[in-house]
Amino acid sequence: MKGAEVISKLNNVLSGEELIVSSNGNVSRQAFHLLPQPQLYLRGSMGLPVPVGLGLALALPGKDIIVLTGDGNFLMGLSSIATVAFLKPMNLKIIILDNELYSTTGGQETVSSNVGYLELVLGMGIQNINSIDSIEKEDVIEKILSDTIKDPGLQVLHIKVEEDTINLGNIPWHPVEIKERFLKQLDI
Amino acid sequence: MINIQEFISYLSNQDFTLSSGVPCSYFKDLFINLEKNPDIYYIPATREDEAVGIATGYYLGDGKKCFLIMQNSGLANIGDALTSLAQLYKIPLLLFVSYRGLKPDNDFPEHSIMGEVTESVLDAYKVPYWNLGEINWIKTLEAAISKMEKTSLPVCLLVEKGVLSE
Repeated sequence: MKGAEVISKLNNVLSGEELIVSSNGNVSRQAFHLLPQPQLYLRGSMGLPVPVGLGLALALPGKDIIVLTGDGNFLMGLSSIATVAFLKPMNLKIIILDNELYSTTGGQETVSSNVGYLELVLGMGIQNINSIDSIEKEDVIEKILSDTIKDPGLQVLHIKVEEDTINLGNIPWHPVEIKERFLKQLDI
Repeated sequence: MINIQEFISYLSNQDFTLSSGVPCSYFKDLFINLEKNPDIYYIPATREDEAVGIATGYYLGDGKKCFLIMQNSGLANIGDALTSLAQLYKIPLLLFVSYRGLKPDNDFPEHSIMGEVTESVLDAYKVPYWNLGEINWIKTLEAAISKMEKTSLPVCLLVEKGVLSE
């Protein structure tokens, strides 16, 4: 399955109450086009979707926060998974879409293919980590996504995906507009 | 040296509820007191840019104010977090940055180059900054916080040796 297809499956299992932080580039564009709006679409700050999601989760303990990130982005900010494990926010769900590529910039290889995500995240101190291949698990991926966002506690889901061949359009909102729409939805 | 308890109380009264960053020995006494303070939650970060990310998420979640603590070496680590996150999305942040690489650091060459360029870096990032002195520190903080709130952007206080720790 392609990353965008997994995001569409995620859309089927959202309750609508979750807040989503998406990593810059294709993942944010796909989140913009395929998931309910508005969400917190990061347009820059590569490597920081996990800490932004962590901050949101700490500020809003009554809300479920989903971080959607690509593998290049996740690996750039890798140490943040240690911070997340240290703080263990119960309402944070991290989904890593791993195509082993920097897709947004033309499909250059990342170093992800050698990484054992299960052992890595377990070693950081997070017990609830699931690592799957989207092709092998295509029939049950919706159930797995649903469990990840609905099971209690901090959850990490790593999914091997195929390269997206169609790039969706850029997000038409300036970051200040993204922020304002996001805050308005929260009624702050 | 500034009275640290008064300093923390001042920030707490200004509704700062979260702090994060990476320590510097220039903030040793500040950290000792921050750990004891129940009104401000401090999150130890692995990197300074991570701290900017956490503060951004926290501010967007409940609109509360955050301050960050770091060495000026950390300024080099937060360039992208500032320009493509905090400044781009207009997130107010108060940065306390130790001013390493000045005279007391003559024996620490690792700080010398960043010490020379610290103010140029802040100018280049377009981050307004003040030197936090022992005298009139409240006035300086007032000016910085007021600028931060008026612009909804990060501002910086440069902290020399002996101001927030022995």
